[in-house]
Amino acid sequence: MEDKELTPEESLSLINNMIGKARKRYTDNSFYFLLWGWIVTVASLAHFTLAMYTNFEHPYVGWSLTIIGAVASAIRGSKQRSSAVVKGYTDKMYGWLWMCLGLAMFTIIFNGHLINWNTVPFVLLFAGVGTAVSGAMMGFKPLQFGAIAFWVLAVIAFRMPDIYQMLLMALGVIIGYLLPGYIMKANAKKHGI
Amino acid sequence: MAFKALDPLLHSQLRLAVMSLLISVESADFVYIKEQTKATAGNLSVQIDKLSNAGYITVNKGYEGKKPKTTCKVTSKGVDAFEAYVKTLQQYIKP
Repeated sequence: MEDKELTPEESLSLINNMIGKARKRYTDNSFYFLLWGWIVTVASLAHFTLAMYTNFEHPYVGWSLTIIGAVASAIRGSKQRSSAVVKGYTDKMYGWLWMCLGLAMFTIIFNGHLINWNTVPFVLLFAGVGTAVSGAMMGFKPLQFGAIAFWVLAVIAFRMPDIYQMLLMALGVIIGYLLPGYIMKANAKKHGI
Repeated sequence: MAFKALDPLLHSQLRLAVMSLLISVESADFVYIKEQTKATAGNLSVQIDKLSNAGYITVNKGYEGKKPKTTCKVTSKGVDAFEAYVKTLQQYIKP
C-alpha cells in the first residue's frame, strides 16, 4: 500500500474495506464445547449409574472432572490470548460470558448438597444462556437450537426426581454442546483454520 | 458553508487503513496489520510511530517466547479523531 493523496470517496471505501477485513474472521471455539460436553456427559451418566445400580457412597465423584476441565480451559484460554494476532471485542465478551457462567455453575454444583442436589435445572438454564448468546454472537444456529433444548430440558428437570435429572443433563450437553461443537470443528476444517 | 479541513494525520492511505483496522478490534499485532494493509514493514512502522506520537494509538512492544511482538491499540483520542474525520468526510461527499 502506497502513501498517496486520497479523495473523500477513496477514503470512505478504504475505511469500509478495512473494517470488513477485521470482521471476516471465523473463530473455532469447538475445543471448549467438546471438552465440557464430554466431561458433563461422563460425569452425569456416571452419577446416574452409580446412584441407581450400586451402593457407592459418593456417586457424584465424576463431577470432580470439572476441576480438570476448568484448569484445561484456563490454560488454553490464556495461550490463545497471548498468541492471538488480533483481539476482537467479541472474543473478549465471549470469554467474560463463559467465565461468569462457569463461576455460577461451579457455585451451584459445589453447594448442591444444601438444596438436596436439585441443581440440574439451574445448570441447564445457565448453559442455555451461554449457548444462546454465543450462537447469536457467532451467527451459529446449532448453538441457538441447543439453547432451546437446554431450556425445554430445564422445564422438565424441575418436575423430575434429582437422580433422573442427571439423564436430562447428559441429553442437554449432547444436544447443546457436543453436536454444535462437532459441527463447528468441521466448519473450521472447511475454512482451513 | 466552509468545509472543515480533513485531519492530515488520518488523510493518508496507510495511516487511515491502520486506524480503520484498529477501530474495529480491541488490539492487533504488527504482523497482522502488515498482512492486511500489504504495506512494507519499514513504511508501516514509520506511520505507526506518527499515529502513536499523536496519541491516536498505543504501541506495546513485548515478547512472545523469544520473538518480538508489537501490539497496537486505538486510544479514545484516536476514536474521537476518527469519528471527526468521518464526519468531515461526509461534508465533502454530501451534495
